[in-house]
Amino acid sequence: MGSVKIFTKAKCPKCPAAKEMAKTLKREGVHVLNYDLDTVDGLAEASFYSILSTPSIIIEDEEEKEMASWRGVVPTLQEVKERLFKSAP
Amino acid sequence: MSTVIDMKGDRQRLIDEAETTDMALFVRTSDESMLDWDRQRIVDALVRETYVDYDTAREIAREVEELITTSKIRMITAPLIRELVDAKLIERGLEQARRMHTRLGMPLFDVDQLILHPNKENANVPHGPEATNLTLAERIKKEYALLSVFSEEIADAHMRGDLHLHDLGFVDRPYCSGQSLEFIKRFGLSLPNSIAMAKPAKHPEVLLAHMVKFAAALQSHFAGAIGWDSVNLFFAPYVVGMSDRDLEQLAQMMIFEFSQQAVARGGQAIFTDLNLYWEVPKHFEDVPAIGPGGEATGKTYSEYTNEAQRFARALFDVYQDGDGSGRPFFFPKPLVHITEKFFKTPGHMDFLNHICDVASEKGNTYFVFDRGETAKISECCRLSFKLDQTDLEDARQPWKMRYCALQNVSLNLPRIAYLAKGEDTRLFSRITEVIEMAVKAHLEKKLFIERLLALGEKGPLALLAMDRDGAPYLRMHRASFLIGMVGLNELVQIHTGQEMHQSKQAFKFGLKVIAHMKLLVDKFGERYRMHFVLEQTPAESTAYRFAKLDLKYHSPKSGHIVKGDISRGEVYYTNSTHLNNSAVLNPIERVRQEGLFHPLIEAGALTHIWLGEARPSKASLANFVIKTFQLTQNDQIAFSPEFTTCNACNRTSRGLRTSCIYCGSEDVDGITRITGYFTKLSSWNKGKIGELRNRYRNQGFLQEKKEEGMALEVG
Repeated sequence: MGSVKIFTKAKCPKCPAAKEMAKTLKREGVHVLNYDLDTVDGLAEASFYSILSTPSIIIEDEEEKEMASWRGVVPTLQEVKERLFKSAP
Repeated sequence: MSTVIDMKGDRQRLIDEAETTDMALFVRTSDESMLDWDRQRIVDALVRETYVDYDTAREIAREVEELITTSKIRMITAPLIRELVDAKLIERGLEQARRMHTRLGMPLFDVDQLILHPNKENANVPHGPEATNLTLAERIKKEYALLSVFSEEIADAHMRGDLHLHDLGFVDRPYCSGQSLEFIKRFGLSLPNSIAMAKPAKHPEVLLAHMVKFAAALQSHFAGAIGWDSVNLFFAPYVVGMSDRDLEQLAQMMIFEFSQQAVARGGQAIFTDLNLYWEVPKHFEDVPAIGPGGEATGKTYSEYTNEAQRFARALFDVYQDGDGSGRPFFFPKPLVHITEKFFKTPGHMDFLNHICDVASEKGNTYFVFDRGETAKISECCRLSFKLDQTDLEDARQPWKMRYCALQNVSLNLPRIAYLAKGEDTRLFSRITEVIEMAVKAHLEKKLFIERLLALGEKGPLALLAMDRDGAPYLRMHRASFLIGMVGLNELVQIHTGQEMHQSKQAFKFGLKVIAHMKLLVDKFGERYRMHFVLEQTPAESTAYRFAKLDLKYHSPKSGHIVKGDISRGEVYYTNSTHLNNSAVLNPIERVRQEGLFHPLIEAGALTHIWLGEARPSKASLANFVIKTFQLTQNDQIAFSPEFTTCNACNRTSRGLRTSCIYCGSEDVDGITRITGYFTKLSSWNKGKIGELRNRYRNQGFLQEKKEEGMALEVG
């Protein structure tokens, strides 16, 4: 199973929903990395993935290859799980 | 200015006189008259120029006089007297007074060299009497800037090479600007101090004449580029009903007028950018068009799409032919904006193929990518401004759309890494310190320019202070303050041991540095309510200067880091956030990777694709451009071929050669892009020559896939 990267900002109306989803996924044992675009590390990582809007969610496989992404939108938990487990070897 | 004081030999006998005001020495003054020696002049100068009290001034004058009278000097100069006075000030610990009393100027030897040899700091300055005047004036203003405009802390940081204050020789002007033709269409050519006022143009040729003259006037008030927005669109109401032949003639006139303006400031061609659109930009669609005589035509600009497109096409027909020798035009630079709407506008593929043909054949075309709702105006080598909501409201009255960057300050990033010695905390806190210095430099320059502007239409910046529409021409509240960077690649190399193209980790570290810089300039912008923005500095000479200074101060480490050939003195740092020029990367991957930095660099960025001798097909380049727009974040790309032009037979061939392929003459010049413009290699500084030797040319890549279309892999 790969990992999920979630990109958010402090002042962003849809970001709380994305953060909530991150918590749920973490509870279920998914490897989740949170990035805040108001910080250096968050902005740098977002730039690497060409993320220009928040919230954005990226699923990567174990070799850090991008498997799926949602940019500027929050998918349903079901959608994320489907793509996440589909990417599992 | 003559400043020599002759002390005639036969008058030396008089030196024993107690009062040298009685000495019959002739003083050759700056106003070219002969005056007798008068000690009081020293006193007057000290009291006038410094805060030194009268008694101390008299004491110093007497001591200097004594020194002169007891010496065996046969001829003294005004600078020498001033230096002797300065020495006395230092003896008394009056350091600030010494600074205030400093004389600006150049050694005789330097002036001699300058008159005989070309200046290579800017390849756009030819060698001639006007250029010499320009350089001499620049040298004095540069010294003035470092002594009087900027604080000691900032001046020292520049001198050490921690940062670079660009265009110090033009300290009394803003840096660069973006213009709207609508201003001269509406108000005519009415400049302060001008002996004649012209009403708004009624004919396209007259509008062009106004544009060229206004550009020359602006060149005298800005250090760098003059960009013009939507040139083909704003000309459109004037070209209604023109035949193809007449339109091509007008296009020819425009390009030749700007390319042959090497009679203006210092013999320097005006660094001109023409922003062109195939579509009518969304923000101008419903704007009432201004036509002949400065009158509203009763139509909106969207009704002039056809004329605007015909003119854009005609301009590129001229670019395709090149000048009288088949060389590419160095100026004006055509910047075509590729937008979402571009792809929805009929005829776009034909036009794209046409401008790609020019890009392959002559290299002129710059492809500027305005994705999403972004609208941009480009100004300098790669400087552009994204229009915000206020600007878009101004678009209803486009003559208001005039912008400037007040100054550009670039940071020496490798220097920071040498000092950090591999420690992250030290590295990032040093970056913060240097950015704080850059911000301080901007505050100091802003204060100085505001002082000049406060003198209004009677002051030195009358043109920028002129008010024709209820606001000064230079809208200070819309000014940007640029913070550039040189050598990110080398910073990463020093700090991580790898260059950015060598590993994902190194590349990500580069992104982290620029992200840190971006967040910092935003914070300072909020603090001072000023528009600080990151910019990819063209750094034509700065990359060379920083490398040379670091070889001096950070050897031996720097000897392993600087790029180029140390034995030839051809050293440089990789420009801005670019990847190593010599890295063997396919152009698509370079465009994609370099483009990841571009959203962080708000004032504009560019990726060069060095073509060498290759001449890819127009379809291949068009495909490349489309993919760049769709699949990358890259802001702007340019394809750069290389040429050899023969001064004997006036013919031009592809590639850089030592002799002409047509007549065999060795009297040839190489031509290619130095930074953001084409020029002759003979005018390049050593650092840039070193970079040219290293550039990886994409000789075959763009040709091999031809019409099939190239796969652009992302990720």
